[in-house]
Amino acid sequence: MIRIFIVVTLALVSSIARSQDKVTLNGYVKDTDNGEELIGVTVYIPELKAGTATNAYGFYSITVPKGKYEVQYSFVGYTSQSVSITLDADVSKNIELGGVAQIMNEVEISERPIDENVIAVQMSKNTLNMSQVKKLPTLFGEVDIIKNVQALPGVISAGEGTSAFFVRGGGGDQNLILIDEAPIYDASHLGGLVSVFNADVIKESELYKGGIPSRFGGRLSSILEVRTIDGNNKRLGVTAGIGTMASRVMIEAPLKKDKSSFILSGRTSNIGLFLTAADAENKINFYDLNAKINWRANNKNRFFVSGYTGRDNLSFSGGDIGFGWGNSTATFRWNHLFNERLFSNTTLIASNFDYSFEIKDPIQGFKWTSSLQEVSLKNDLTYFINVNNEFTFGYHLSGRRFSPALVEPNSDESMFERTEFDKMYALDHGIYISNQRRITDALTLDVGLRLSIFQNMGPGKVYLYDDPKDNADPTRIDSMDYKSWETVKTYINLEPRLGLRYSLSDDKSIKLSYNRMVQNTHLIAAGTVPLPFNTWSPSGYYLKPQIADQIALGYFQNLKDNMYEASVEVYYKDAQNITDFADNAEIQLNKNLTTEYRQGDAWSYGAEFMVNKKEGRLTGMVSYTWSKALRQIEGVNQGREYAANYDRRNVVNMNAAFELNDKWTFGGAFTYSTGRPTTVPSAKYEYGSYLPDAVTERNGYRLPAFHRLDLSATLNPRKNANRKWKGQWIFSIYNVYSRKNAFTLYTRTKQDSDGNIIGDGTEKEARMVYLFPFMPSVTYNIKF
Amino acid sequence: MKSENKNIFYTKAASSSMKKALIYSLLLITVTACDEAVVLDLEETTPKVVIEGQVTDHTGYQFVKVSKSSGFYTTGKTPRITDATVVVEDDLGNRFDFVHNPRNHADSAGYYLPQVPFVGAIDRTYTLTVVAEGQTYTATDKLNSITTIDKLEYRIDEDEREDPEDPGRFYEVLLFVKEPKETRDYYLFKTYRNDSLTYNTETDVYYADDELVGESIDGFPLPIFYNNNDLARAEVYSLSREAFIFYRDLDKLLNNDGGMFTQPPADPRTNLSNGALGLFQASAVVSSEIRVGE
Repeated sequence: MIRIFIVVTLALVSSIARSQDKVTLNGYVKDTDNGEELIGVTVYIPELKAGTATNAYGFYSITVPKGKYEVQYSFVGYTSQSVSITLDADVSKNIELGGVAQIMNEVEISERPIDENVIAVQMSKNTLNMSQVKKLPTLFGEVDIIKNVQALPGVISAGEGTSAFFVRGGGGDQNLILIDEAPIYDASHLGGLVSVFNADVIKESELYKGGIPSRFGGRLSSILEVRTIDGNNKRLGVTAGIGTMASRVMIEAPLKKDKSSFILSGRTSNIGLFLTAADAENKINFYDLNAKINWRANNKNRFFVSGYTGRDNLSFSGGDIGFGWGNSTATFRWNHLFNERLFSNTTLIASNFDYSFEIKDPIQGFKWTSSLQEVSLKNDLTYFINVNNEFTFGYHLSGRRFSPALVEPNSDESMFERTEFDKMYALDHGIYISNQRRITDALTLDVGLRLSIFQNMGPGKVYLYDDPKDNADPTRIDSMDYKSWETVKTYINLEPRLGLRYSLSDDKSIKLSYNRMVQNTHLIAAGTVPLPFNTWSPSGYYLKPQIADQIALGYFQNLKDNMYEASVEVYYKDAQNITDFADNAEIQLNKNLTTEYRQGDAWSYGAEFMVNKKEGRLTGMVSYTWSKALRQIEGVNQGREYAANYDRRNVVNMNAAFELNDKWTFGGAFTYSTGRPTTVPSAKYEYGSYLPDAVTERNGYRLPAFHRLDLSATLNPRKNANRKWKGQWIFSIYNVYSRKNAFTLYTRTKQDSDGNIIGDGTEKEARMVYLFPFMPSVTYNIKF
Repeated sequence: MKSENKNIFYTKAASSSMKKALIYSLLLITVTACDEAVVLDLEETTPKVVIEGQVTDHTGYQFVKVSKSSGFYTTGKTPRITDATVVVEDDLGNRFDFVHNPRNHADSAGYYLPQVPFVGAIDRTYTLTVVAEGQTYTATDKLNSITTIDKLEYRIDEDEREDPEDPGRFYEVLLFVKEPKETRDYYLFKTYRNDSLTYNTETDVYYADDELVGESIDGFPLPIFYNNNDLARAEVYSLSREAFIFYRDLDKLLNNDGGMFTQPPADPRTNLSNGALGLFQASAVVSSEIRVGE
């Protein structure tokens, strides 16, 4: 299948372009110091006024008339190089760029072409610059990219202390989170205090919120692509750090100089120590391990193997209650140059997510486990026809196995019986093509199409219900058995993608994009924030694919020689088959879970304003987002329209880093957002000795506004200059003015601080839960 | 600081305990979570009629309470409806009229008792009709059979003895019962300490289905602890599926966290018609008692 597709596409593509007098220059650009491939290096030929940039693998290709040229390779934070090349035939040229001297040899590897904001067709994309992120304040001293994602325009956070984020009105499960192209199904440690991404190993992370390229599929609202560094292939490097939250160590070294390198990185939590000190009965910890080997066999073939595993282990009541979850991923990648213009990336991916919950007790003891496995094969190709015309196309195949729950008694006298919930299987095919083409000097188009074929497969059983929406008394009337590989249900969807950039001048452009996204793997959260034990489910006999259409329009301008990037974007998103649980749904261990699903419509719109200063001693970003996110689903909120849990009207985010001198750098971040909607009582009543609330409208009340200021200071001691190893202190203050930001609101019978009922027990009170008051932290990093 | 009694993990009946413990362990992760009272700016809504009706196979257990909801911040008991017409009929055509507070107890305003005492019978279906403030509310429930309690035992809980919440209150009472596997059964538990209905926490609802449970339940601990010489009593009520759903929803409502991790609060589903809150429940009741320390 793959092969046929490639051959057909190639035939198609090669018939488009044949020009004998043109030759191709290509190669890789990397960092002189550590051999790290550089993404987004500008390759420019002044004589022709033509240029390109290196792709995600540091590879570039440019097709030009024969001749002798001065080719300029330039990149922010690096010394530019100009190379004289005679092109009378196709030439491969690898370039190494040297970094401008940096504090702690921190290389600005995630910088982009300086005018990408204006020039690229892609809109609605934010790149997280790791060196900037590392200068900003942290919670518990741990640099966390998810916390930075949550502060991007168009992204909404449920509050602090969670790793969930909501993009342009989309749900928490509508973000595809990839580490080296492998999906992470739950990116949280400790329920979201910190994410699974260890900042030490992150090379680049990009968030696509709209105009999503056709090479991505499977989620409605965003793609968060995280790439890990390749490892130093010049010399041994060790980085280590210790902070309030966690301790980290990373080793990177060449296996064979300039040819291959490896990286090994580990992180383990310290924060459990504090909790244990407070209550020895409770223990929490997490860890992350990242490993990567990267081998440049020759100029045409390079290989990467990358792996990640991380896990949380929590135990309460002296180990009687255990709770854990974790992700593991493995990626094998082969970059291959078929010829001067055809670049291929073949990836084999495996991913596992599981959780378990255990109570150790003679009578009430049980262990409950659940897991999700995925194996994927992807083949992505780029065909450079010439500087004005480029095709990308590929084929993705994923197989998934969902094991919703297995409950086993863990003692002989346990009152529980072994119960296994039916496994589910799914195959997911994605075939895509896109063509980026310069139409005129000002207008560039990127037109793409993705075909998604989703199959819910046997072995399995599908139950037919008297009424499939009767969740109070689900009655099975029949069942259908499916054998292995037998198709239960197939969903075929076409996903058109369009991007358009019109340059008004060198530093101003207008962009327009449209995308349709389809999601066949659903995680329906009970509350606002998806939890590790909210079980993923495939589309199938009952659950239909979620589909979203988004249109976005933007104005982009760079100022002062690209020192400032400014943008305004507006979007409208309309989604069908958005899934929620019915009111009062029974979510865990429910064999008739399908009767609890409700699907309906969601729509959202907004405007995002952003100014970003990328260069100079003061760097930072200011953004403002106005947005609205609404839903209407039969069986939820009595079928009436309601605001999504993460609907926040106004959001302001600011962050800045200031390099005072080579010793001190200061960082600050401020966030403000309208309070989240929540459901509050309209009355109370008596039933037995209980005092329940009467509820009328879902999300009819707003929590107080959320705002917070964080500050940080980074100290690079002057002694560093004279020693082999470099030390660094980072001091951070979270919530400087100790704002009590509402995490959630609940009600109870009025009680005193010891939990004793006040008065005759007929009075109720509302309580606001808040998480982090003024929280200072210190981190020490060392590198040699 | 919010602290959860560790006992809470053990005291929930059957499978609901699993689900609940999971939520609590997640809340515990938020190690620094604090909470404080806030005043909500709530709109006045029209009060709703609340009906709590019970027919059992036990003498003196039949009653119907009719009241109204009141504003969230109002103090004192909710308003009672004392002039309703309350009738229960069974599927054999027997009619039982209820009268308002026949013994005129000050505490019993809003309670209706049978004019002529009666007991419910296993497998009979009962229909309640309440006419209050010009509106008619009805509900139907079936009185399902129930297994018998084999015995209660008591023992000292060592963890609790080390650090008792109340002085000397560290005796645990264990329930021994055979769960009939051939039927689909639903239960409600009530526990008494010296004849007083007691919960571990005031929002606890002790209910169970038999889905994940085996036949022999040998030593299921009651949710509350006892002092030496206390009289411990356990009552188990059979529930219909509808009544079980009501208690499960009620539990979710009483113990929701505002919709951060749990679902947003919603009114429990009920067998009552016409928008009334509450439940009409027909149950068989078994009970057993033991004097701790004897």
